[in-house]
Amino acid sequence: MVRTAGIGGTSSVVVLDNGGGFCKAGMAGQLEPTAVVPNCLARPRSSKKWLVGDQLQECDEIQAIALRRPVDRGYLISPETEREIWERIFKIHLKINPSDCGLMLVDPLFHLPSTQRVTDELVFEDFGFQSLCVGNAPVFTHAYQAHKKPTSLLARSKCSLVVDSGFSFTHAGPVFQNRVVSGAVKRINLGGKALTNYLKELVSYRAWNVMDETYIMEDVKEKLCFCSLDIVRDLTIARKKGKENSLQCKYVLPDGIKYMRGFVKDTSSAALKADDSEDDDVEIMGGSNPRPRRTMPEKQEEQELTLTNERFLVPEMLFHPVDLGMNEAGLAECIVRAVTACDSYLHPLLYSSVVLTGGNTLLPGFKERLELELRPLVPDEFDLHVDLVDSPIVAAWKGASLMAASPDFQGWSVTKAEYEEDGTLRCRQRFLH
Amino acid sequence: MDDGESSARRSSSRARKVAPKMGAALLDSNTRAQAALARLEALEKDNAGAHEPIDLDDDDEASPDEDEQRPHPKKQAKGSKRKTRQAKALERVASIKKAPRSFLDLLQEANLEALPPNVPSYLRAAVGPPSVGARRHFCSVCGYLAPYTCTVCGARFCCSRCQTLHIDTRCQKFLA
Ligand SMILES: Nc1ncnc2c1ncn2[C@@H]1O[C@H](COP(=O)(O)OP(=O)(O)OP(=O)(O)O)[C@@H](O)[C@H]1O
Ligand SMILES: [Mg+2]
Ligand SMILES: [Zn+2]
Ligand SMILES: [Zn+2]
Repeated sequence: MVRTAGIGGTSSVVVLDNGGGFCKAGMAGQLEPTAVVPNCLARPRSSKKWLVGDQLQECDEIQAIALRRPVDRGYLISPETEREIWERIFKIHLKINPSDCGLMLVDPLFHLPSTQRVTDELVFEDFGFQSLCVGNAPVFTHAYQAHKKPTSLLARSKCSLVVDSGFSFTHAGPVFQNRVVSGAVKRINLGGKALTNYLKELVSYRAWNVMDETYIMEDVKEKLCFCSLDIVRDLTIARKKGKENSLQCKYVLPDGIKYMRGFVKDTSSAALKADDSEDDDVEIMGGSNPRPRRTMPEKQEEQELTLTNERFLVPEMLFHPVDLGMNEAGLAECIVRAVTACDSYLHPLLYSSVVLTGGNTLLPGFKERLELELRPLVPDEFDLHVDLVDSPIVAAWKGASLMAASPDFQGWSVTKAEYEEDGTLRCRQRFLH
Repeated sequence: MDDGESSARRSSSRARKVAPKMGAALLDSNTRAQAALARLEALEKDNAGAHEPIDLDDDDEASPDEDEQRPHPKKQAKGSKRKTRQAKALERVASIKKAPRSFLDLLQEANLEALPPNVPSYLRAAVGPPSVGARRHFCSVCGYLAPYTCTVCGARFCCSRCQTLHIDTRCQKFLA
């Protein structure tokens, strides 16, 4: 080993979860990542400059902002774009020099040879990290849960079924002996990006054209969408007028002058208007309703989106992709197929420890909806226990941070010298898959 | 949206992106698989301008905090082996600048079909088609459950009011 960090030294290992939506970054052993930044470059309409990662979050002109992503369908395809984002993370947020550090990387399952190669090149050749260890979200999420609940069946059996529904896609990944059973992993090609795009389609078809407003509509989705527990009931409510339509919500779009960010129109404020106009009366049920950032606008000046059944028809897509003309099984069936692909003695253990992670699982009602659909598909004699991790966006990062702080880290890693000797493929065989 | 009419009025003031080809694809059940692919493509789309090339050599681009952020890590490396790799990398950058290659291009190139069936791969991990449950249909105008189909374009609607709206403003206009 040529690493300068001492055995078990944790301060010099960078931990990175390079998700398609967010890049989560920090140092090994930390309980929380130092930075969670959008994994993209962004360019406001009136600017020639591309903003990098978290600079987007401070940008005042987000309407029709162009986004450029280094990750496509979960895999790194544009290393030169990623390099800009990582560079900012290492310099500005972590304040480290990669050539003094090892790297623990949360990598997607089933890399293609080409996407794996560009990832390794970025790590060793562009940034010059001393060593690299990679693992995947199911393994790290499992590690995090086992650490949090050391006496649980999950921890004792070293076995769980991790559902990771993030930006790019959704995986059901069985974990056994703390490793993912890769032959049994099942993937739905739908993630948060597709949900946002579907919301854009629905709204553009029915109201404003928001096809260029990915960034704004992502916020609308995160604030207003939820998983229905009874779709016929909710469709019926959403069809009602005025007060009776308890699912109707209004979102004020940003205009770049008065409102830099959009917001959900305040419930109490809407209620005050009830006397003036019946139609303006809104009661919000389900979904979070954060406070608006600014004072309420005067009428006429604001551009509002009114959402009703879009709020739950969008997440519905994860449970029934076929409704949208996509020939894919929904999430419950995806889980059953992943379990069934494992040895039968594992089935009861897997069903007893289903773990939900990834940003989409933050949708209100996600766990309950999944349980409703999954229970009838699971043999009666098996217990079904579904657990939502406490921090779905960063759980995999936290597990990776724990493992990167372990004294075994070096044994799992490939050094830069080994990479230069053996190239990318042989190195990868030693990783934690 | 519960109020279809006012929605339609508002939307007409703004341009709507349509892809007539997609409508045509849906008409022909033989091309349903292609329509499903096109569907996923649409749902994976980034917004306009996302794939314009960026000039990484310009320090002003994408990097307002020049002082803090430079020097570029690329400039640190030395050595001959390293140089050839770097040269290759630069070629790659140049090629990607011209036309960024999508994941689907790379997937095709990887030729995963040729792997023996017992090797886990991206292709083998696909969940596959659903085994149970028919497709539910939602009204293309208002989102409610939709028992009726437009005989012209195949879009769904729930009632005569939505049907009228559909024929007047949307028939055969599919979102890109
Ligand atoms: N409160 C929320 N409600 C619904 N969706 C949310 C919420 N918060 C975040 N998301 C969505 O979660 C996604 C990001 O999740 P996550 O960070 O797990 O993905 P990732 O790791 O970046 O992507 P990948 O799928 O490539 O692993 C985004 O699409 C975002 O819109
Ligand atoms: Mg992820
Ligand atoms: Zn209708
Ligand atoms: Zn029609």
